[in-house]
Amino acid sequence: MWKAVKDREAGFLLPSSFATRIRSHRVASLDLSNHKEIVSPHNGAINSLQVDLTEARYLLSGSSDGSAAVYDIQHATDYERGLIAKHKSLFVVDKQHNHGHRYAISTAIWYPVDTGLFITGSFDHYIKVWDTNTTQVVMDFKMPGKVYRTAMSSIATTHMLIAAGSTDVQVRLCDIASGAFTHTLSGHRDGVMSLEWSTSSEWILVTGGCDGAIRFWDIRRAGCFRVLDQSRSQLGRRPPLAESTSKKGSVTGQSSSVKSMVSQRRIPLGNEMKQLRAHRKSQNLTRGPVVQRLHPGLSSSHNRATAHYGAVTGLRATGDGMYLLSSGSDSRLRLWDVDSGCNTLVNFEAMRLQPTKALQLAVTQDSSLVFVPCLATVKAYDVRSGMTFRTFRGHYELVNCCCLSSQDQELYTGSNDRQILVWSPASPVIAEVEEDGKGGWDSVADQDNWSD
Amino acid sequence: MSVWNYVVTAHKPTNVTHSCVGNFTSPQELNLIIAKCTRIEIHLLTSHGLQPMLDVPIYGRIATLELFRPHGEPQDFLFIATERYKFCVLQWDAETSELITRAMGDVSDRIGRPTDNGQIGIIDPDCRLIGLHLYDGLFKVIPFDNKGQLKEAFNIRLEELQVLDIKFLYGCVKPTIVVLYQDNKDARHVKTYEVALKDKDFVEGPWSQNNLDNGAGLLIPVPMPLGGVIIIGEETIVYCSATAFKAIPIRPSITRAYGRVDADGSRYLLSDNAGLLHLLVITHERERVTGLKIEHLGETSVASTISYLDNAVVYVGSSYGDSQLIKLNLQPDVKGSYIEVLERYVNLGPIVDFCIVDLERQGQGQVVTCSGAYKDGSLRIVRNGIGINEQASVELQGIKGLWSLRSSTNDPYDTFLVVSFISETRILAMNMDDELEETEIEGFDAQAQTLFCHNAMHDQLVQVTANSVRLVSSTSRALLDQWNASSGFSVNVATANASQILLATGGGHLVYLEIGNGKLVQAKHIQMEYEISCLDINPIGENSHYSSLAAVGMWTDISVRIFSLPSLELLTKENLGGEIIPRSVLLCNFEGVSYLLCALGDGHLFNFLLNTSSGELSDRKKVSLGTQPITLRTFSSKDATHVFAASDRPTVIYSSNKKLLYSNVNLKEVSHMCPFNSAAFPDSLAIAKEGELSIGTIDDIQKLHIRTIPLGEHARRICHQERSRTFAICSLKNCQTITEETEMHFVRLLDDQTFEFISTYALDTYECGCSVISCSFSDDDNVYYCVGTAYVLPEENEPTKGRILVFIVEDGKLQLIAEKETKGAVYSLNAFNGKLLAAINQKIQLYKWMLREDGSHELQSECGHHGHILALYVQTRGDFIVVGDLMKSISLLLYKHEEGAIEERARDYNANWMTAVEILDDDIYLGAENNFNLFTVRRNSDAATDEERGRLEVIGEYHLGEFVNRFRHGSLVMCLPDSEAGHTPTVIFGTVNGVIGVIASLPHDQYLFLEKLQSNLVKVIKGVGGLSHEQWRSFNNEKKMVDSRNFLDGDLIESFLDLSRSRMEEISKGMGVSVEELCKRVEELTRLH
Repeated sequence: MWKAVKDREAGFLLPSSFATRIRSHRVASLDLSNHKEIVSPHNGAINSLQVDLTEARYLLSGSSDGSAAVYDIQHATDYERGLIAKHKSLFVVDKQHNHGHRYAISTAIWYPVDTGLFITGSFDHYIKVWDTNTTQVVMDFKMPGKVYRTAMSSIATTHMLIAAGSTDVQVRLCDIASGAFTHTLSGHRDGVMSLEWSTSSEWILVTGGCDGAIRFWDIRRAGCFRVLDQSRSQLGRRPPLAESTSKKGSVTGQSSSVKSMVSQRRIPLGNEMKQLRAHRKSQNLTRGPVVQRLHPGLSSSHNRATAHYGAVTGLRATGDGMYLLSSGSDSRLRLWDVDSGCNTLVNFEAMRLQPTKALQLAVTQDSSLVFVPCLATVKAYDVRSGMTFRTFRGHYELVNCCCLSSQDQELYTGSNDRQILVWSPASPVIAEVEEDGKGGWDSVADQDNWSD
Repeated sequence: MSVWNYVVTAHKPTNVTHSCVGNFTSPQELNLIIAKCTRIEIHLLTSHGLQPMLDVPIYGRIATLELFRPHGEPQDFLFIATERYKFCVLQWDAETSELITRAMGDVSDRIGRPTDNGQIGIIDPDCRLIGLHLYDGLFKVIPFDNKGQLKEAFNIRLEELQVLDIKFLYGCVKPTIVVLYQDNKDARHVKTYEVALKDKDFVEGPWSQNNLDNGAGLLIPVPMPLGGVIIIGEETIVYCSATAFKAIPIRPSITRAYGRVDADGSRYLLSDNAGLLHLLVITHERERVTGLKIEHLGETSVASTISYLDNAVVYVGSSYGDSQLIKLNLQPDVKGSYIEVLERYVNLGPIVDFCIVDLERQGQGQVVTCSGAYKDGSLRIVRNGIGINEQASVELQGIKGLWSLRSSTNDPYDTFLVVSFISETRILAMNMDDELEETEIEGFDAQAQTLFCHNAMHDQLVQVTANSVRLVSSTSRALLDQWNASSGFSVNVATANASQILLATGGGHLVYLEIGNGKLVQAKHIQMEYEISCLDINPIGENSHYSSLAAVGMWTDISVRIFSLPSLELLTKENLGGEIIPRSVLLCNFEGVSYLLCALGDGHLFNFLLNTSSGELSDRKKVSLGTQPITLRTFSSKDATHVFAASDRPTVIYSSNKKLLYSNVNLKEVSHMCPFNSAAFPDSLAIAKEGELSIGTIDDIQKLHIRTIPLGEHARRICHQERSRTFAICSLKNCQTITEETEMHFVRLLDDQTFEFISTYALDTYECGCSVISCSFSDDDNVYYCVGTAYVLPEENEPTKGRILVFIVEDGKLQLIAEKETKGAVYSLNAFNGKLLAAINQKIQLYKWMLREDGSHELQSECGHHGHILALYVQTRGDFIVVGDLMKSISLLLYKHEEGAIEERARDYNANWMTAVEILDDDIYLGAENNFNLFTVRRNSDAATDEERGRLEVIGEYHLGEFVNRFRHGSLVMCLPDSEAGHTPTVIFGTVNGVIGVIASLPHDQYLFLEKLQSNLVKVIKGVGGLSHEQWRSFNNEKKMVDSRNFLDGDLIESFLDLSRSRMEEISKGMGVSVEELCKRVEELTRLH
């Protein structure tokens, strides 16, 4: 790291690459934290975890016991033996609360603009919007079924919509501004376990249903405009030139043949150019609608396409807006090209996923790694190659959610064992026993407490 | 310091990032266009060399600079893209000599991740489209229509994610790119794609080549008729096209820049990271490539860009050393180099560290930077001052006086230069060949030392020697009249103007003579109680030939007196105090204000306001200019009067806005000086130095002067020690052995006058110096150098071991006194409460200096603080410690004496990746971060809640556009008693691009005034290419973009002075303040740097 700092200050290394490099080094060295612990107040499985989007300072957790809690992950509440930072919850809202949820909280998310509000969704059919400072419910929405997942767009500037998936086939959009449902999105044939807003457009919502379908919605228009099809891949999307295949054979020798082909091609090209000019204007105008024309008229076969065999349990869009990752009860992880809607066919190595529960996946900022809860472990896969990068073992029971703080490169995981574990970049802090005069520190933090 | 800050550039960026050559300003003219990160310079190629035409700031960091010629245009257009995704197309307007914006736009996207290897911008050689690679996986196309106008841009998906280079191929029917990329398994390949503009997609191109050199990093497209592309690797160079594949091995090197020599693309210049220049030749038979040849030419600065100009002249732009203009010779010189350096252009970048010292102890800071990298590493001494450009010089020993004389009263030019020696006087004159030649003035006494000499009225000359005053006709050169001193009372000092002479003889006699036509008349004579040391009757009233006042400096009572003329009545007597006699007095007038200057024998200078009617002196001020006697002389430059104070620290005294200012001259020890305005050397000064007489012109006032100390290695940290008068630097040297390249790290001691290495301590293998300070410890009078190091092992990601070394300088040698092993890299060291505060990886650690039983000392750790990712930058003030973290912004720690513990007090919770921090005052801290922004945070110690107290509130944000490596308190200008600028607290910063900048804290009212001025200026001064100033200065990082606040752009504000009068008036109207007042206030600011 010193070398990177040195190269950066001399201008050998671009500052942006410096940051990328340090982040990926840190993520690559994630391990069960030896200096940070979150004290879980929950008496049930942790179903949802999210770090706030403004300061990356407050972690919100939602649990099966109907409680939600907030922790300050930057500022420890106290230290154990002077070194292990304990982060106790700042507050908990549970069943005892006047307006608490009666059943399990399946999803808890921050209002993306600031930490003044957070939203919980529960199996008691309610979505509640909380004021963080007063811990009071400011708004609630009654859903037609158990709420599986809620999502808000982190880039939205013109709307404050909570997208909610439930046991009902319809996805609803709840508007915080008005307190009413603004949209009901119909298309799925079963409940909707996972939802994700596009990271490039505030109007695009992606939903994954128990029917195995992943649907794309543009909330400004009616209907779903794309259904992902696991059998549609990018292979052959950009076929090589007919000429170029024949040319490959001739690369070795005949320069003359290449030339002749070049001159042959000139004629059609000229025509194309003319057409291009003629249609330029109209084409520019029609381009949008052309895309749109697709969706109401999605052919019925297309409409029945599936992304997974079985339920879609998790969705995660990469931060650059180019790809979507989905997990399914078929124990598959798929990587989709958002632009074309194609399955990239990246083969993620064998995994076993919980089939019946919504899973929360996490992706690194540079979209190079995805963290997936695989039964009692969390696995990190290389997004491009599908290779297993790491397996994180620490929880005793099924892991439901992972959340990566892109600011600190720390991973938080929540499990049925009621614990929230912190995985942080390797730090020699504990190993360092300096002659501080405070030599009372002799037993190294016992990692064995947690890892098997 | 305060919340309201003014940021201004004292030294513009000099890091050359891009350059290109073309017919930009006219179809016939060849131009070199240079980008220096945030500025572009346009030069014209002339037979004499490069002639600058324009130097303008760009509101953005330039990522791409390309010249292109759309169809049907007679000359080239300039395409610029900035790192913040703005682009513009510029055209030259020959009438106004300005840049016109032809097109501009924003090419940012919501999707995609910014490329890791920098942005790529390329233009199709047939001008069909512009291609941009800004985000991984996307290739943006801006097509041209058939009229050469840009059309709407679109993206094409690029499957290759790790793109290293993209270029357009020549001679393709459809625009075709060649992409050099790296796959998942780190193998490198090239691939071609045709751009199908209609389908807005790629079509697989005509050829590809897999598994290239692992170091392949640069593509050079070859023009027709050959076509194809050259791929430059670290060990091979490959020529590749659809029909041919040729490769040659090269000596392992990393090629950073190339320049095409011939239009047909058969020869290229390549420069590697050692600065070696090679010529690559494509041998071909007609249009068939037969092979490649590479030839070593010689060594230049490490090039970042190469532009072949014309006639074997090449511009080598460098980021790590001085840029050069070189000539390639046909024959090698004695060293075997074909390169002749014609010119060097100073580059301070990258400024990795610097310190501010006052080596001459004159109250003016000098910045000593660690500049350059690799072999071009150097120290640069940057100081504010006036430069004398020597034009001619001759060796002459023992000069005692210098005067210039005109041959007639009305002659605009000086003809004679009178040089006085201990027992003779020699006269030099300009001959017909504009050479100085010894001549004679018959009427002068050449066998005596001349005490004074002047042009008098009626075409006469006056010479004063110890025995006589001689009046000589300047036309016939014959003696007209003579006044002789009475015997036994020789003349000691004398002065004269066009019509009067005042002289002092031994015994305190003061004699006043008046000059008539061919006659000298003794008008008055008085005797004083003491001997007279100096005199002046420089006319400052309305009559430029006659003075009604005389200034006299006295021995014994150390006074300066004003007499009226011709009566020689004493008007004023001012005792100077002290024991040093006045050596030179001068009556002078700056901007209508009369002053009396009086210089002492010890280098001090008094200045008084002089009432010309009553002779009263007021407003006494004293400054120190040097240590040796000063002689004062007036001269004029650019129609303004200045005073030259010749001494061991020659200084020019001038006035601006009715304030006296002092500027150093880049000369050592000047004994005498006189203006010498000859036809051959207009506006020049004749300067007598030790053993030398030289003639030179004077630079503009207030310019930075840079002295270069080449080190031949990369200096990374520097600090100065007053006690031993030395600098210590941490440096590294790249050593190329046959098998591998290794780095060797040193701690070196340099003399602060000669800048020679006087002692060296070699660090261990893999050990490198990370920090150095000079400090002392409590209960120990010695001053030490402390050096923090890290062991950078190749297999370790983060150093786990380092050392703190404590050195003392004894007999000019570094002696290691103590060392302490640490558990990581010592990123920063600070002297703290008589102890040593070190930042070691995640930890802040305090060490105390303990005396051991055997009398030696050791560092003993006292306490520490964890909780940082990496504590890279640390500053302290009192008991407070401000830490700049790798990625977690600024935090404030407090050292508690009683408990011997360090605690965190407050923190900024934003995710700023820090590059430098500084403490402005107790509550306000300044930070620079990874995305080229500056910000200030404030401690909220009075807040009501713990939560608020624990939070550093962001109060100022600004996009500097420069990567700051270091802040230091200090100033480049002399702290003067009568300048407000001298009292404005300032921080100096140094950046990777070689910028030295100043951040000044302003009072609130001034800030508000300037803020208003800035917003008015933004309306009048439009950014080049239509780029917005507001957007450019907005704080911008990966997460947010917010308008700048509590920072002012001094560069913009000071450009007010360059505006035309009419535009100044426009602004003046908008402000409701007169133009003069605005000028005055802005000029005041320019004196900050």
